[in-house]
Amino acid sequence: MSGSTIGLIGIAILVTLFFTRMPVAYVMTLVGWLGFAYIRGWDVGLKLLSRDFYDVYSSYGLTVIPLFVLMGQFAFNAGIGRKLYDSAYCFLGHIRGGLAMATVAACTAFGAVCGSSPATAATIATVALPEMKRYGYGGRLSSGSVASGGSLGMLMPPSVVLIVYGILTEESIGKLFVAGIAPAVFITICFILAISVYAFLRPSEGPAGERTPWKDKIKSLSNMSETLVVFLLVMGGLFKGWFTPGEAGAVGAFGVFAAALFRRQLDWKGFVKSLYETLRTSCMVLLLVAGAVIFGHFLAVTRIPFTVANWVAALDAPPWAIVSVIVMVYLIGGCFIDALALIMLTIPIFFPIVTNLGYDAVWFGVIIVLVTQMGVITPPVGINVYVVSGIDRTIPLQDIFRGSFPFLLALILGTAFMIMFPELVLYLPNLMY
Amino acid sequence: METFEKGIDYLVRILRIIGGFSLAAMMMLTCVDVVMRALGDPIFGSMDIVQFLAVLVLAAAMPYTQVQRGHVGVSLLVDKMGERGQAVVDMITHLVSLVVFAIVSWEMALYAKELWDKGEVSMTIEIPKYPFLYLVAVCFGILCLVLLVDALNFWRKAVKG
Repeated sequence: MSGSTIGLIGIAILVTLFFTRMPVAYVMTLVGWLGFAYIRGWDVGLKLLSRDFYDVYSSYGLTVIPLFVLMGQFAFNAGIGRKLYDSAYCFLGHIRGGLAMATVAACTAFGAVCGSSPATAATIATVALPEMKRYGYGGRLSSGSVASGGSLGMLMPPSVVLIVYGILTEESIGKLFVAGIAPAVFITICFILAISVYAFLRPSEGPAGERTPWKDKIKSLSNMSETLVVFLLVMGGLFKGWFTPGEAGAVGAFGVFAAALFRRQLDWKGFVKSLYETLRTSCMVLLLVAGAVIFGHFLAVTRIPFTVANWVAALDAPPWAIVSVIVMVYLIGGCFIDALALIMLTIPIFFPIVTNLGYDAVWFGVIIVLVTQMGVITPPVGINVYVVSGIDRTIPLQDIFRGSFPFLLALILGTAFMIMFPELVLYLPNLMY
Repeated sequence: METFEKGIDYLVRILRIIGGFSLAAMMMLTCVDVVMRALGDPIFGSMDIVQFLAVLVLAAAMPYTQVQRGHVGVSLLVDKMGERGQAVVDMITHLVSLVVFAIVSWEMALYAKELWDKGEVSMTIEIPKYPFLYLVAVCFGILCLVLLVDALNFWRKAVKG
């Protein structure tokens, strides 16, 4: 059997095993190991297991992940989400659909200290959903804005997806983070526009809230101070090259911790909870990375990535068409598999193709995040929708999916715009050292 | 059987404390290092220590993450099966995982022995690597015990229905 045939059989077994509900990380480890051992011999295969796991666990680059996850957990347990929402409400609440706009803005702000989408959605949902209900917002608009706004958590740096992408492709994590800022702001604006159109067509879904006097508006800005300071410190430090991403994570986590302690928002219980929750999330991500590394080693010995890259290069299709096909694969795949798992599984195959076409690796990282953002709000496996429905059980699942639809449209248009104008993504990172 | 489960539970909780402590230490040490470096006096070998702490964090978190069902999987199809069918599928996948991680644990111990014999140490402050590899092997072993308990529970569910 040729390497490619064994590789294809391996991929088929992998996909079949996914449907048994076995953790994706475990399946990648199992199939990757068996396939690698089958081609290279059992002795080498057994050694591969211990080496790959230890290499991943002891990689200095990966210490970034627990530290940034910890930062988000401190922010979550300290109730920073509530304060961000209050500030956003002061400025946007009196407009029609304004509470939903405030929700999206608060999500982006919270994303500045949190690297994951479900965590951002959960944080803002607990604050914003009851508030929107109180003002008579419809279930669709309120739940849709939280689920979709939450997806900005992984675009707005820090971002766990961008960290993993950076590690797998050996791109600078600092650059990727900086590249995420402008698109995050751009998508936030797209979402706000989508809400105003929606509220214009269905005024009853999003009535205006109370107007806040200017004095209080200014005062409410102090709510955002610690988030802003920590974000500027972390991103500024990365931008200027003062510290490594790992150090930025540690400084950021400590910054949020110190601010929360100073304002007496984090007790011992919250501190311990943050630590344990971080253990769980980091372990989930790192086992996925280890599984992807093992599976990637298997794919490499089957030579499939090279074969596919050559095959695509031989196609006489324009580059944008190939990129569009890849984007479609992520969009469809993201409906079924967890975003991070999907990225890790496909990067070894798609990354060489895209860079061979002459596209920028940083730009592609941001585009991948945008597409996986769509995956977290589309059925049947939209993790953010499940998170939101877990917080407010009175809103039916299909209503949240329907409510997310206008945001999905905005996201698709925004992404198409960034595919056409890569400068929007690349301007800031190109200013770096 | 119940004492066995309680024993495993206890082990998982101890590991969780070790992991949490290492995580907090990692954050503090890195921050102190950044500040000291700015003052022109970086901590010698802090990178080595952070690396070992990260190993502890991740290894110690594995059994806990399994207990908490923290891993992502595709439950689309299995959710449609009956209670019994789900229990059977889960039992089989847990047993398969158990075999894989038992092998990883064993290989990790062999790897540790190899590095011990070679006398491998960390880059700057030359801490021997092998104790950490043994710890990782032990953590994989405890993960296997957790998987075993789960598999047994699924077995009971499958039989009783």
